Amino acid sequence: MKAFAYVNAANEKEAIAALGPERGRMLPLAGGMDLLALMKDYVAQPERLVNVKNLDRTVAKTPDGGLRIGAAVTLAALAQHADVRRLYPALAEAAAEVGTPQIRNVGTLGGNLNQRPRCWYFRNEEFPCLKKGGARCFAVDGENQFHAIFGDGPCHIVHPSSLAVPAIALGARFRIVGPAGEREVTAADYYVMPDRNLYGETVLAPNELLTHVILPAPGTAKSATYEVRFKQSHDWPLAMASVALVMNGQTITSARVVMGAVAPVPWRAEGAEAALAGKRISEATATAAADAAVKGAKPMTQNGYKVQIAHTAVKRAILKAGGIAVV
Amino acid sequence: MADEQNPPAAPPPSGPARTWPPVADRALLGKPIRRIDGPDKSQGKAKYTYDIVRPGMLYGRLLSSPHPYAVVKSIDVTPALKVPGVKAAIALKDPAGPTAKIWYQGEEVAAVAATTEEAAEDAVRAIKVEYEILPALATVEQSMSANAPVNFPKGNVSAERLTLRPDKADVEAALKASAHIVEGTYSTQVQTHTSLETHGGICEWNGEKLTAWVSTQAVHATRDGLSRALQMQQSDVHVITDYMGGGFGSKLGPDVQVVIAAKLAKEAGAPVKLMLTRKEEHLITGNRPSAYAKVKAGVDAQGKLTAFDAETWGTGGAGQGAGFNIPYPVYAFGVLRQRHKDVFINAGPQRAMRAPGHPQACFITEVVVDELADRLRMDPLELRMRNLPPAGPDGQDLPTQQWRKYFPMAADKIGWSRRHATADTGSGPIKRGMGCAANRWAGGGSNRTRAACEILPDGGVVMRIGTQDIGTGTRTLVAMITAETMGLPLTAVKAAIGDSEYPWAPGSGGSTTVGSISPTVRIAAENARDALFAKVAPSLRVEPAALVAKDGRVQVKDNPAKGMTWKEACRLLGVQPISADGAWQQGLSSSGTSGVQFADVEVDIETGITRVKRVVCVQDCGMIVDRITAESQVYGGIIMGIGFALFEHRILDRNTAKMVNPNMEFYLLPGMSDIPEIDITLIDQPERGPVGLGEPPTISTAAAIANAIANATGARVRSLPLTPAAVLAALHEERSGGTR
Amino acid sequence: MTHPTLASRHVTPMHCSHLRHKGMYVTGDVTSEPNGFADDIDATSFWCVCTQKAFGPDGLPVTLEDCATGRSCCNHDAAEAT
Ligand SMILES: Cc1cc2nc3c(=O)[nH]c(=O)nc-3n(C[C@H](O)[C@H](O)[C@H](O)COP(=O)(O)OP(=O)(O)OC[C@H]3O[C@@H](n4cnc5c(N)ncnc54)[C@H](O)[C@@H]3O)c2cc1C
Ligand code: SF4
Repeated sequence: MKAFAYVNAANEKEAIAALGPERGRMLPLAGGMDLLALMKDYVAQPERLVNVKNLDRTVAKTPDGGLRIGAAVTLAALAQHADVRRLYPALAEAAAEVGTPQIRNVGTLGGNLNQRPRCWYFRNEEFPCLKKGGARCFAVDGENQFHAIFGDGPCHIVHPSSLAVPAIALGARFRIVGPAGEREVTAADYYVMPDRNLYGETVLAPNELLTHVILPAPGTAKSATYEVRFKQSHDWPLAMASVALVMNGQTITSARVVMGAVAPVPWRAEGAEAALAGKRISEATATAAADAAVKGAKPMTQNGYKVQIAHTAVKRAILKAGGIAVV
Repeated sequence: MADEQNPPAAPPPSGPARTWPPVADRALLGKPIRRIDGPDKSQGKAKYTYDIVRPGMLYGRLLSSPHPYAVVKSIDVTPALKVPGVKAAIALKDPAGPTAKIWYQGEEVAAVAATTEEAAEDAVRAIKVEYEILPALATVEQSMSANAPVNFPKGNVSAERLTLRPDKADVEAALKASAHIVEGTYSTQVQTHTSLETHGGICEWNGEKLTAWVSTQAVHATRDGLSRALQMQQSDVHVITDYMGGGFGSKLGPDVQVVIAAKLAKEAGAPVKLMLTRKEEHLITGNRPSAYAKVKAGVDAQGKLTAFDAETWGTGGAGQGAGFNIPYPVYAFGVLRQRHKDVFINAGPQRAMRAPGHPQACFITEVVVDELADRLRMDPLELRMRNLPPAGPDGQDLPTQQWRKYFPMAADKIGWSRRHATADTGSGPIKRGMGCAANRWAGGGSNRTRAACEILPDGGVVMRIGTQDIGTGTRTLVAMITAETMGLPLTAVKAAIGDSEYPWAPGSGGSTTVGSISPTVRIAAENARDALFAKVAPSLRVEPAALVAKDGRVQVKDNPAKGMTWKEACRLLGVQPISADGAWQQGLSSSGTSGVQFADVEVDIETGITRVKRVVCVQDCGMIVDRITAESQVYGGIIMGIGFALFEHRILDRNTAKMVNPNMEFYLLPGMSDIPEIDITLIDQPERGPVGLGEPPTISTAAAIANAIANATGARVRSLPLTPAAVLAALHEERSGGTR
Repeated sequence: MTHPTLASRHVTPMHCSHLRHKGMYVTGDVTSEPNGFADDIDATSFWCVCTQKAFGPDGLPVTLEDCATGRSCCNHDAAEAT
């Protein structure tokens, strides 16, 4: 990797001061599970790394009964945290399935939510693709079996973060700090399509940091995440879904259904949400919601099979949230 | 084969008839013995080539071509020399000469040596290369298409090769006369060896003499290669391989990178270590070629296989062949014809990979056999049993062809009687199924193998043999056989291997290592022991032939009390150790193995994902030397077979021929949690002597899994790997008309 | 009984002494029972001992067919043969 300077920031303020406005030159380093690999492959070549592992790493209760989770919390800690598991099973389940135990022990919430795409054209330096400032997306007529089945390009990545999916389903807000102070955005607004930001995947400015994930009280919501991966471990989901079903007794009053690994951002399935409202959780409603979720999918040349897998993920996430055995 | 270039082998030395000790007398042979270097390996004390650091050593790095097909127009290494810490930089392509062309991605263009790996990497990136990029061929379809550019000197496709058996057989007539015919196109992917220790070595000059620590399967071949490539005396080259981390057929010489390390070391005046990166490992160190077959096969109404006609092709990358024989020679098809063409693409050339040709051929054949059974509505096991080669005149099968015995054994173990006939009709998306397949392998041993044994006056024993332990347990076997012969505990002998200064032994390939070294080590040990007996006999006032070495003693066979400890016996040597040689002889080993594998799988028909639940294997390997290391070969073979079946796939971008997954993230390998229960029954054939086992267990795993998936789902997948996409596509096809 | 030599790797004096394949280093003279599948269509890969790759000093592929008398880099120095 290219040589770089290292700033061990003690807190948010120092970290922000050490970052700069230019994309890619100064980068926050959390667990490094994503960033170091990008640097070894010369896809990222920052001049300076700013350690952000000293950001908040606590899980705190909020006055309204939700949780405020620091960006430096590790995935393993998140997956094991009693309150997270009790209040937000969808998030705990997603954290528990990331990568491998080693990755979860080191990788952090902030790093996970801000990780870069796994598109193999993006990750291999010999492909000067659109996202890297090149002229074309190699995936369009190339090897796109793991690429997006939703979205209109021009880049067809799937967003890699497993935690972003339940974060949106659970209505999380992200606290952001930057040189001008702090702000909050919803998880759903945090991620943007490539037509809005081709060179990044979020609204975060290069000199800003995501410091906290704030989850509202779950109320009567039942949530779950279901991932479909080929290998049992050390592999990425082919598709996944997180659902949060607000219940009134046995009836779903409203729902959030979000699919992962299917689009350049976590893909909210409003059709599925509508299909669930007013229904009881059953195989039939779950199937109807899954049908609605994949409606409008536009698979590429090699990834038609992912429509079926996304369908299964949505159906099984709903059943899982309802406590119904899925397979 | 090299026979014509080699002098005829010397007649077997006359001397005592050689045998293995009677089974009842064996203290070590055939027992489950833990590998002797296991503790060193698990504690990090065993130093692999990758681990070795020499004083003043520099790190070498290649500049590999990012382009799969190009011409190098110019190379300027001077900017590399300006990078701090860089001691040497050399161009490896001559823009003005015949080697200016790049044939595949990753081909070496230049190299540097520097004081740190980081400086070497920076320096490589500083080198300026101009390429003229040419349109590359990425797939066999592209290479075979009429309007493709012709990128290879004799065309993109080779001339046809033909097998016709019996000669002039009328295949078409036989097919026409068949009651049922299966017709389809089958294929297997390119698999890379993915050795955990990448290829490479360390080269250190001492004047004109070169010492090379190399991650190789063949220390002697590496000496041959280095001396020829560097135009030096073979005797000036010393190759050492103490421990090595996997080769699977791809490490049978120094390769370009170790030759380059030697050149850099000379230029820099310091030892240079050059180990390939994971990416280079995928790109340039070989692979298992792809296989494609358009098959038409028939069976008569009684379940007798009638004919097999195949048009086959495949790619071994840039310039190398992709042959495989079908039908895989287990079942007796009446008449057969194979017409084969090699297709060249701009990708790294193939190399021998664990059972070259066999897993491909086995997959295609065994799937066809299952489909024929489906047509007949016959149990596929029954169809297999009916078509095994006929037994000999004595009613016995050849010891190398024991499928008639193994199929029922494995069927019993997996619970074949519970197998449902077609698809799993149970409710729910998870479908369960079973499948099976058979394998065969030749193995053998090289009659040029030599060993040298020393017995030292202090009782020590050293066995020197120029073999190498590629992870298979060879070091342990050398020690076991020596200790058994001397009647000593395993810890009392030293197995000295992995060194080109030791007597010649073959490269570890073709599952011939055990068949080469076991007889030779036994004979060298017997010769040394007998020389000791000759020394000891007079003091016991018996003939040497009356002595035995047993339980740490040298004693009279019929009167064990009359004798002395091993140490006392050795003390009689005074200051003169015993040195004895051993030359391979026939009769202590053999060749030919057979086996079967059964798989029990679960397929999720809503995701296309297959989980292998259980693999049952019945396999022979002649006389088992060490039960643990033998079983460990089978575990490894089956795990690699699961990788071939489900996961592994070298994926080239179809538009540029560049590999998109040259890593271990998207080049999927089975992880711990993907490995099922593996049930191994090793059949001991003590009368045959040892037969190699490295390759056979990887051959039939994929075929058994593919057949199990069809049994579970009712849908046929005719291509590897059996990805969710492939399984879902087959299920879809089955629902809308049928895959059968 | 000797291992039948596959036609597809039958190296003769016509061939270059720098031609290599795995069998040369592995088997030498193999004693073997007849195995019944010594066919012409096998998977042998070849390389050049001088370049240590599947392309010769002339930059062209190393094959059994090509590495014989007539090729510019073909070597018949008996002393150099294995
Ligand atoms: C084999 C493998 C499998 C994997 N499987 C999965 C999976 O299934 N699901 C999944 O979600 N992930 C998966 N990952 C990715 C891994 O989970 C993430 O890389 C990890 O969570 C990143 O966390 P980190 O702390 O190591 O991030 P880092 O690598 O340190 O950082 C990642 C990125 O985020 C930026 N960043 C870090 N912290 C902040 C912050 N506070 N504010 C703003 N930007 C920040 C960094 O600059 C960098 O660009 C896998 C990785 C591997 C290698
Ligand atoms: S999908 Fe995006 S990242 Fe991948 S090749 Fe296309 S532009 Fe590049």
